[in-house]
Amino acid sequence: MIKVKFYGTGGQGIVTAGKVLSQAVSLYEDKYAITVPAYGHERRGAPVNTSIIIDTEPVLVNSFVYEPDYVMVLDPGVLIHNVDVGAGIHEDSVLVLNAVDPDIVEKFRGFGFKTIYCADGTGTALEHIGLPIPNGSMLGVLAAAGLVGIDALEKALIDSFGQKAGEKNAKAARECYENHKKV
Amino acid sequence: MKYKMLDGNTAAAEALKMARVKVIASYPITPQTVIPETLSEMVESGDLDAQYVRVESEHSALSVVTCAAMAGVRSSTATASNGLALMHEVVGMTAGNRVPVVMPVVNRGIAAPWSLWCEHVDTMCERDMGWLQFYCQNVQEVLDLTLIAFRVSEDARVLLPSMVCMDGFFLSHSMQKVSMPEQGRVDAYIGEYKNKNVYLDPTDPMFLSDLTGNEEYTEMRYQQKLALDASVTVLEEAFEEFHKEFGRKYELVEGYRTEDADVVLVALGSMCGTAMYVVNKMREEGRKVGLLKVTVFRPFPAEYIRRLVGEQAVVGVFDRSAGLGGEGGPVWYEVCSALRNQGNQVFHYVGGIGGRDVRAETIEKIYNELLAIKAGESGRHTEWIDVKDNALELREVAKNV
Repeated sequence: MIKVKFYGTGGQGIVTAGKVLSQAVSLYEDKYAITVPAYGHERRGAPVNTSIIIDTEPVLVNSFVYEPDYVMVLDPGVLIHNVDVGAGIHEDSVLVLNAVDPDIVEKFRGFGFKTIYCADGTGTALEHIGLPIPNGSMLGVLAAAGLVGIDALEKALIDSFGQKAGEKNAKAARECYENHKKV
Repeated sequence: MKYKMLDGNTAAAEALKMARVKVIASYPITPQTVIPETLSEMVESGDLDAQYVRVESEHSALSVVTCAAMAGVRSSTATASNGLALMHEVVGMTAGNRVPVVMPVVNRGIAAPWSLWCEHVDTMCERDMGWLQFYCQNVQEVLDLTLIAFRVSEDARVLLPSMVCMDGFFLSHSMQKVSMPEQGRVDAYIGEYKNKNVYLDPTDPMFLSDLTGNEEYTEMRYQQKLALDASVTVLEEAFEEFHKEFGRKYELVEGYRTEDADVVLVALGSMCGTAMYVVNKMREEGRKVGLLKVTVFRPFPAEYIRRLVGEQAVVGVFDRSAGLGGEGGPVWYEVCSALRNQGNQVFHYVGGIGGRDVRAETIEKIYNELLAIKAGESGRHTEWIDVKDNALELREVAKNV
């Protein structure tokens, strides 16, 4: 069982990213995934998170993730809201971060992550989709971190966003998959 | 096998589509809104050949579908929380007129305190109104139990409506992998909708729901009681047939590793999955714990509870509603009544209300308490299992802040 947590801010497509990931591994990799989104008093810009549980057999647990094996942060700005993205992590928990600035990356290392995969997800999204919505592009980095195959991810992006927007997101994901940094 | 990724809301909409409902009237309310939205898109695109009636309230929604069903077509609505509370009057009309409407309900607390999140109080308030009630553990069950509910409700031996209950957000908004049955086999399984106790013929009018005096009222209620009693057999047949056709097995109450259990927890809804995970983990550690998952709460399958709980087992019951003013919650009362001649100790737990996550740790804490009681080590029993220590300090009134 692999436990995953996404953090970001309202409007970035955190919940959708969780759905795309679970679709990719469930429909194209013969696994089982459930999303457990934490809906709060949402508004654009407020910190949000979502939980995803992945297994090779049907997932029994229906509860939020408290001890994540993978953490993805779509908006480094969650730090301003004092969100503890290191909550419940263990020695080998991996961070996937939408930032390449070394100062920001080091700030996040302070949470205790030994391995960080990072990329400019927002820039890549702007380039390919024309919108600063980094959920598709950053899923490519999650693929690079080994959680999901890039081919499965591309298919799920097209399923979720339709052919035209899906292909653009798939390109953004592929670019981040290839041009990420592991630090 | 064809799989789709669906959340509970879209699974409910898919099930209503597969049941080929002809009339839909539904008023949106969080967290159910996606059901009417999805259905209206299906009708608009032509995927679903149905009339979608826009209504101004849940009261009207259930009135429209109840009357449409009496006129001779399969009809459905969906609701949650305060919406179900507003329907309450019509809930009695649907059941008392013996109209087999199937209605998904997304469980949510009833205000106040205002909450959008999961709690079973909304459907528990309707438990004695003469509807069947199913509680789903996961999204697959939302789809399957909705289909099963149509077959059972419309059976001539039953003719009673069903609520298919799913936990708000934990199921309604949880995307899961769902095995999709073939339409042709669903058609064969449910059958065509046919009115069995009413007819619509303008040349030979039939009067329904007239004022019923005390010379007949008791007998009509008694008919409802007998129909609910009879529905146990119909449910068993429908589950067996479903298993044969679609390969998934359901029971009114499922015993999960209860055979030799020292302690048994009774629960319903999405927490059952988490409880099964905890049971497996604790069993590996050599502790004999088991779970009773109540899939059908109305009619309450007391016979199953007696059969599945050993006489020596210590029992805990997890109510996801507060049961205010009673000695315990609604599920606890039923279990106590079922086991009244067996001598089991039955402990009551309240938790997971207003959307509080029922964590694996919460369930493990309950099992540990029950095991200690069973071993005679401790009588400690935390009825409100997840209440915070500062409960009485919250929201103190402060003036001029």
